[in-house]
Amino acid sequence: MRRLGFLVVLLLAFAAAYYAWMYRPVSPKPWTDDDMVTLQSLWIDSLPTLPADPSNAVADDPDAAIMGNRLFFDTRLSADGNVSCATCHQPDLGFTDGLQKGRGIGESGRNTRSMVGVAYSPWLYWDGRRDSLWSQALSPLEDSREHGSSRMQIVRLVTTEAAYRDMYRSLFGRPPDFTDPARFPVAAAPVDDPALASAWAAMSDADRQTVNTVYANVGKAIAAFERTVLPPVTRFDAYVSAVVHGDKEQQSALFSRDEILGLQLLIAEARCTECHNGPLFTNHEFHNTGVLTVPGELPDRGRIDGVREVLGNEFNCRGNYSDDTERRCDELTYVRTGPELLGAMRTPSLRNTSRTGPYMHKGQLATLVEVLQHYNRAPDAMIGHNEAEPLGLTGPQLKRLEAFLQTLATPSAR
Amino acid sequence: MNRLRLFATGLLIAVSILACVPRMAMAHGSVTPDADLCVIQIGYFKAHFKVYLPETHQHEDFCEDLPGIGNSVFVMEYEHDGLAQTPIDFRIIENVTGQGRFTNLGHIEKIDNLDKITVFHHPAAIQADVFSVGHEFDRPGEFVGIVSVTRPDGDGLYTAVFPFEAGYTGLGYWPWIIAGLLLLQLNYLWMSGRLDALRNVFAIVLLCTASTFSQGADEPGISISREGHFQVSYTSELQPLVINSIHNWVLRVVDTNGEPISGASISVRGGMPVHDHGLPTAPRVMSEPEPGTYLLEGLRFHMRGHWELEFTIQAGETRDLVIVAVEL
Repeated sequence: MRRLGFLVVLLLAFAAAYYAWMYRPVSPKPWTDDDMVTLQSLWIDSLPTLPADPSNAVADDPDAAIMGNRLFFDTRLSADGNVSCATCHQPDLGFTDGLQKGRGIGESGRNTRSMVGVAYSPWLYWDGRRDSLWSQALSPLEDSREHGSSRMQIVRLVTTEAAYRDMYRSLFGRPPDFTDPARFPVAAAPVDDPALASAWAAMSDADRQTVNTVYANVGKAIAAFERTVLPPVTRFDAYVSAVVHGDKEQQSALFSRDEILGLQLLIAEARCTECHNGPLFTNHEFHNTGVLTVPGELPDRGRIDGVREVLGNEFNCRGNYSDDTERRCDELTYVRTGPELLGAMRTPSLRNTSRTGPYMHKGQLATLVEVLQHYNRAPDAMIGHNEAEPLGLTGPQLKRLEAFLQTLATPSAR
Repeated sequence: MNRLRLFATGLLIAVSILACVPRMAMAHGSVTPDADLCVIQIGYFKAHFKVYLPETHQHEDFCEDLPGIGNSVFVMEYEHDGLAQTPIDFRIIENVTGQGRFTNLGHIEKIDNLDKITVFHHPAAIQADVFSVGHEFDRPGEFVGIVSVTRPDGDGLYTAVFPFEAGYTGLGYWPWIIAGLLLLQLNYLWMSGRLDALRNVFAIVLLCTASTFSQGADEPGISISREGHFQVSYTSELQPLVINSIHNWVLRVVDTNGEPISGASISVRGGMPVHDHGLPTAPRVMSEPEPGTYLLEGLRFHMRGHWELEFTIQAGETRDLVIVAVEL
């Protein structure tokens, strides 16, 4: 019995020693030259000028952005007159909605991504099924779960309502006349809804192209506005400035010990910057990270289906409605496919991430803590292969990472 | 006394081994465990087979018998491309054969009205890349899964049958009780001094992972092909070479004497060996502006670290492979 007692005491001592070691006070290491390169690569000052979008002639036209801004907040672009782009992309919530999945007319298929800095991404949506901002903007309008409208209704609104009509004319030329009910039905679109689809099928080829051209222009104006939504300078960026200028006082005023330690984990042991890299903390690429499906739903196939869809989309960079006369379309031309893309989703930015939950493509994880725990475990994927590997980080380390992520929050306007 | 104890120990060990055996030998029909994976055999087609209960068992996957009911997801990851192009019919029926775990196709074929006892049916459809279906089991019971695929010659079907239980409780607490008894026995042996030799044995396993990454030279050097036929050097049109930017390379291919190799056909693959993934794009050699100089278009790197590009070069009768390492 005495031996058993001894064993228990020994075990307790081990446990105490382990916890003491795990929660030991740690001091940040000084930044090395290599770290400095990484820090500066994540810094907002490293953000290049917006990449041009040759497929959209009005991408950088300020008047188009004004029109796009109006369209973005206009609830008339929906079946019930209540849904606008801003219903899900709410500026006050970092251009997301705080919901697991977007909610327009009904519930959408996936979580609403933040729109901030989206113009830097060659692909749109979680699965990259669109290759430009303007072609992306067109799909929710006709999605029965989102805006539930049809392109015929949208182009009619834009060409008849006085304010839009004038803006349209100055940007794209004289708008076509859609008043002949024999040629242009009230509502029509090539969608699943049988009534809309048959109305669309009954139109002539030439008329459908006319509608598509105006519809594409609506997307191009919205895109011009979306290009102006850019990430602000955060506390993290101020800290990097202080590090770059060697201002120790400013550094300690800006960042706590835990936040510095979190940043050091982020760029090293936690391996976050393998995918969340560059000034937007994303490589805009597709990765399977083994997130569990929502109960009752099949595993999301992600990018492997997204590739197929973008290649067949009539509004893609190579399509008839693209303004890219050279049709270079590098991203589309050299797009990759293959089994690695099964269940892969586009890396989201970490900027403002602490305010844009729930997380993952179906909003499966409610908090950053759950996200960090998920990556720490890196469980096997239901379909495809989880690219992440278990990290083996301790509880305090995860807390430091979480503390750091708060420093990327958009500063309040107050 | 001593012998009795030895006998008891032996008996316990034997019982515990026996208790484990049925798990392995259970009639899995067409589904068999293979290493740590389950494999379903449908004719000559094979696929990795797994079932999830995401609500109750999260990421845990099951080979067949499900420890619970509720939402389930059946996944088949094809080992043959053929399955990705063939309509697959997936059906779950109540097991009314009375054969339990030994149900086979013969028993199923004798059933008159399959639809009457069907609890889930996914009609024949092609699912590219991977197969997944979901079913909510509303009560525990014995079931049979039936997977049918059209034979590639169009002549009939290949059918796989696997009996399973949902809400299956397995061996219950028995393994734990046996393990507990074994521990008590071991403890007795330990305390009574019969395991002296073991007492001082402590195995300490230290895993030292020393990863040294050699920093590549800043100037791109010359890479020599595996069999020495070609030498390849490159210049990136993107300067400096950074991540997340699509760009082109100019490749220079020469023979061992430095003479340019023209008219070669070059294919490209690549990725990050450490992370076991490929390139984010599918770059291609699009033109040869000058003899021996090739334009490689559509290249993009999406992580910092060690990348390798593998060029297969075919010039006339000569075919060789060259690996170009890139540090980012």
